[in-house]
Amino acid sequence: MTRQTLKWLLPLLLALAVPWAFEDQGYGIRVLTLVLLFAAMGQAWNIVGGLANQISLGHAAFFGLGAYTSTLLLMRWGISPWIGMIAAMGVAAVAGGLLSLPTMRLRGHYFALATLAFGEVMRAIANTWASVTGGPVGISVPFSEGSLALMQFKSSMPYYYLMLGAVVVTSLIFWLISRSRLGYRLRAVKANPQAAEVIGVNTALTRIQASVISAALMGACGTLYAQFIFFFDPDTVFSLVGISVKVALVCIIGGVGTVAGPLLGALVMIPLEELFNEWLSGRTAGASQLAYGVILIAIILIEPRGLSVLWFRVRDMLKGNHA
Amino acid sequence: MQFLQALVDGILLGGVYAVISIGLTLVFGVVSIVNFAQGEFLMVGMYVAYFAWRLLGLDPLAGAVLSFMVAFALGVLVQKFLINRVLGAPAVAQIFLTVGLLIVMENLALMLFGSEFRSVQTPYQMTAFSVGPLLLSAPYLLAFCVASVSGFVLWWVLKKTWWGMAVRATAQDPMAARLYGISTQRVHQLAFGLGVGLTALGGGIILPYLTASPTVGSQFSVLMFTAVVLGGLGSVMGAVVGGIAVGVIQSLSSLFLPMQLQNLVLFAVFILVLAFRPEGLLKKAGS
Repeated sequence: MTRQTLKWLLPLLLALAVPWAFEDQGYGIRVLTLVLLFAAMGQAWNIVGGLANQISLGHAAFFGLGAYTSTLLLMRWGISPWIGMIAAMGVAAVAGGLLSLPTMRLRGHYFALATLAFGEVMRAIANTWASVTGGPVGISVPFSEGSLALMQFKSSMPYYYLMLGAVVVTSLIFWLISRSRLGYRLRAVKANPQAAEVIGVNTALTRIQASVISAALMGACGTLYAQFIFFFDPDTVFSLVGISVKVALVCIIGGVGTVAGPLLGALVMIPLEELFNEWLSGRTAGASQLAYGVILIAIILIEPRGLSVLWFRVRDMLKGNHA
Repeated sequence: MQFLQALVDGILLGGVYAVISIGLTLVFGVVSIVNFAQGEFLMVGMYVAYFAWRLLGLDPLAGAVLSFMVAFALGVLVQKFLINRVLGAPAVAQIFLTVGLLIVMENLALMLFGSEFRSVQTPYQMTAFSVGPLLLSAPYLLAFCVASVSGFVLWWVLKKTWWGMAVRATAQDPMAARLYGISTQRVHQLAFGLGVGLTALGGGIILPYLTASPTVGSQFSVLMFTAVVLGGLGSVMGAVVGGIAVGVIQSLSSLFLPMQLQNLVLFAVFILVLAFRPEGLLKKAGS
């Protein structure tokens, strides 16, 4: 067994064992489940944001589409969320492909703006189209007495393993892409689109492929979220701050473009946010979100060259101490 | 007839959008940063005008001057202590700094004022003037007039005053401006203050026909960005044309679409313009 495999096997074994140290149905395991869900979403964002350096602020669109697709299939026709999840990935993939057609030539602020607008419009549609989505009131997922076929469980532990599975799958996909021809094409497009075109890279196709894969994975996460949380409304699943920004942030804080980045980012961000909720929930509404915004600004001011640099700086410092 | 009425309404709405969007484009043109929190300064403007009305009995159209001043001061501070520090940083850092500002401002408003919608009562709220077969709603018309006047004042300041020239010089060539002894740092602060101030003023003058809430800014974001992108990011004239175009598009689409889906039409316009002419429909004619 090489050191490389050990490096991944140990954390995985640890992750598998962790729930046994927590009280089932407790608060702790729910937070960890959310950590895993956001790590999986961060990994999906990483394909576009990390490998291609396209800063998407609209990934909530795919997440929300995924949540609505599977939940509506379940409510209207009793279709199992396992099948609904595949439908959700399909719908999100189509949306991702469509959005990438007009936006693939945009970079930096322009790309961020276009994707942000896309997410906001999805939210507006979901709020308006009440006959299908239930409108601003939201949707309650009908609860059965817990069944694997319906992806519904009475205790928290199965959800934890479900999300762990999502993390493993999305991480594996990210890792495979980053080492595949698509990954190298994405990096070439990121570094210099014109030069990439000259050496025979189809930049348009490359960006569409990345966008479709990333969107499909977000869609699957939307389904998982709906089954875990049981109630959602347009303003939660299509939220700019709650989903789009947070997913990107998880990546950026942990380290953009790396497999471990979203995992580390989620491990820091989500419990931190929960802590704030805990501390400040007794105060007026908005206090915990406010603290979250302040931290975001502070991190950027401490390391304006790109947040992942901060992580590498700390890591180098730690390494230096050990040597 | 219905069409003509919608067109006129659209132009009146659009005049206000123009002023709001000039603010955004001014910030981009001079400071080279896309301020994702611009809509939240509009929200600040609405609350200042609201409290000026409730506590001082000031009409929102006059209160909008206070909105401008408060947002101007806030803008100078934000530029000095936050934006200035990421000017050379990669797009990621710039984007997330202003997004962070958006989160902070929205939630600060939620903490301070609660989530309820607040509206003012003015004597002219229900008034409308009939011009031939058309009806001109008084709040729309008055807001349009104040917007036009403030747009004109800004134009005069940029054209005729020393500071205005310094702002234009910095927008064109920061290095050369610095060589001529212009403090670009000061100019950035001035431009950011003017930019968010103008948007906040727009927030004040729409108060007679819209309600203030902590999240009102996000409703205006797509609208504002569409106007600015239509006219070309950084172009003040472009923002005027873009703002009016957005007002007209919104008003005409209200003839056959529900209220909230008007944003869908705007989004389609926004994406199409970004995709095919990211430099704007108008050729950028300086600023």
